[in-house]
Amino acid sequence: MATTAVDAPAAPAPPPRRNRSRLTLRNTFIGWTFILPNFIGFAVLTLVPVITLFYLAFTSWNAFGQANWIGLENFQRLLTDGTFHTALINTGYYAVLHIPLTLAVSLGLALLLNHKMRGIAFFRTVAFFPYITSIVAIAVVWNMLFSPDSGPINQFLMALGIDNPPGWTTSATWSMPAVVLTSVWREMGYYMLLFLAGLQAIPRELYEAARVDGAHAIQRFWNVTVPSLRPTTFFVTVILTIQSFKVLDLILVMTDGGPGTSTLVLAQYIYRKGFEENDFGYASAVAVVLFFICLGLTVVQFLLNKRKEV
Amino acid sequence: MKRTMLTGAAALAAAALTLTACSGGDDTAGGGGDTGDASNVDTITLAGWSLATTPEFQVLADAYNEQNPDVTVELQEYDATEYDTQMIADLAAGSAPDMYVLKNLKNFVTYEDGGQLLDLSDIEVSDEVNGVDAYTVDGATYAIPYRQDAWYLYYNKDLFDQAGIDYPDGSWTWDDYAATAEELTEALGGDALGTYQHSWQSTLQGFANAQDPDADVLSGEWEYLVPWYERIVELQDAGAQMDFGAVTTNSVTYQSQFGTQQAAMMPMGSWYVATLLAQQDSGDAEEFNWGFAPAPQLDASTTENPVTFADPTGIGINPAVDADVAAAAKDFLAFVASEDAASALAEIGITPAITNDGVTETYFSIEGVPTDELSQFAFSTHDVRPENPVSADTATLQNILSDAHSAILSGTVSPADGIAEAMDRAQSEVLG
Repeated sequence: MATTAVDAPAAPAPPPRRNRSRLTLRNTFIGWTFILPNFIGFAVLTLVPVITLFYLAFTSWNAFGQANWIGLENFQRLLTDGTFHTALINTGYYAVLHIPLTLAVSLGLALLLNHKMRGIAFFRTVAFFPYITSIVAIAVVWNMLFSPDSGPINQFLMALGIDNPPGWTTSATWSMPAVVLTSVWREMGYYMLLFLAGLQAIPRELYEAARVDGAHAIQRFWNVTVPSLRPTTFFVTVILTIQSFKVLDLILVMTDGGPGTSTLVLAQYIYRKGFEENDFGYASAVAVVLFFICLGLTVVQFLLNKRKEV
Repeated sequence: MKRTMLTGAAALAAAALTLTACSGGDDTAGGGGDTGDASNVDTITLAGWSLATTPEFQVLADAYNEQNPDVTVELQEYDATEYDTQMIADLAAGSAPDMYVLKNLKNFVTYEDGGQLLDLSDIEVSDEVNGVDAYTVDGATYAIPYRQDAWYLYYNKDLFDQAGIDYPDGSWTWDDYAATAEELTEALGGDALGTYQHSWQSTLQGFANAQDPDADVLSGEWEYLVPWYERIVELQDAGAQMDFGAVTTNSVTYQSQFGTQQAAMMPMGSWYVATLLAQQDSGDAEEFNWGFAPAPQLDASTTENPVTFADPTGIGINPAVDADVAAAAKDFLAFVASEDAASALAEIGITPAITNDGVTETYFSIEGVPTDELSQFAFSTHDVRPENPVSADTATLQNILSDAHSAILSGTVSPADGIAEAMDRAQSEVLG
């Protein structure tokens, strides 16, 4: 509400007074009918569970009977829970590797596939393919590729003269990079598509003007492409950040958090506590923490973006 | 403003839903007692999973119906992997069937503690039925076991002959087993490995917890596991057992390892007998001579009545049913605990909760089952302990041990360090 109040002065001249309330009412009504089907689904399947979650986070509940109110006990437990800390660090580690890598790779792909050339549709489809492939199939195949002794990746590395190639998903040190590589490969196509759309919206005149001014390709990229892509980059970064912190499926099927706890992430920890150990109150508390991490990071990104805009 | 109103309404609705959801589980007093009249009931429902490939529920239902033509047991299908999650949701929502199978013993405590199982102490169960203890809490029984698997040592007779090594004789300790695995690997020279232990934590921890006198999962004192891990790490290093990393990265299945003669031995549960027979029949597994021996023991003192492990599988009654249905369901469960039911299950290769002479005879009359003396001994004579103790902490401790399992076997930490780390976690997260 506060933002609305701040934004108000910037609004254009007030509409004519007559019929204003009726017209607004009608417009609002029409607006609501448009979003209602979606909103009902959202309310029933997302909003209500989320609100319930906030309540459950302050209780001890094993799925049956009464959820007992225990106040902040779950959150106090989080402070001393070593595995939760491991999961938190692992999630951060995943995000720090995954976000810049995916951004760079998908932008690179988009630039590459933004030229006019033969078979462009084919290449774009190929790049998008991993995104629509079943995650289980991806996990199985990449696990085989990463196999320490018989996998093609390590055989290739050994052929290059690396005597002691990493153990990938069987090594606590390399399992996270292995998962990140797989997820970058999987998601690059989707973000490439967003970047492609952004690239095609950049007016050609800007490039022509830059060329007239004598800018070479790299200068044109940094001074025309990057600034013009800012809205897209911002959107992609926000989505990527949220996705990275919520990562679950790939890790669940690829490493199941192992070896040891080396790839255990927050979402999986929530799943374990809730659905494997039936400790729904505590799982909800972890979920609340994850929610606030995502919310906090998104707000920070919005603020940073706003500052750049000015 | 309208937005505020709507958010407010949604929040109210949510709060109302939350409250109703939380009070849903209260009125579960239901059936119970002996007041119900089973003759008023003509259909009772039972939950099962993957009905097309898991015939045991239908077998029980049909065998019961044969003796009690007035009552039909109707099956309600659930997903095999998400069984417990779905069942918990259905019980909480009041839409679960009259009776449900306790697929995993480790979740029994959730149902029992949550008041989702009717007290079945008044059903008469003979002493022959294995696994009842696992479902007994403070003297009251909450489920009737119908099958009680046990882990054996499967071995490929052809590969043993090829290597010129004697078959297991039922007197093996784990050290004998490991030594033979290395000898086999050498003698078979690349045709097959000596043994295959699947990547599950139970292939190691199940035996250790059942056989080791110091074993106590709930204590969080797990030093006793260290020598068990050292033995298997040695087997891996010697190349007599497939590397843990190779198993997980290549999604290796135990059925293919033993079924296509990639390994000469394999510790595995009794359910594999029926699977292997079916796969040899369908061509998924090769044709070869095999048998199963009692699981190797910690020392020679227990070879008379070998100690092994496996959880029982039992059926409990949903306490939300009315008294009549409860009476009918109890009658069904009394049948489940009978030798007739056990024989019906043995006919399809299931290891029932009763393994007396009659049932043993039925089981070994299945075509293709190895009928040598040692296999019969392994089936009929053993002291089978549950894989996990029944406690609210079991699931959490098992998860910690599972992390240690993958860390040690992948070579990330030494057995001693891995177990020490797990013990620290158990202390700080569960027991402390």
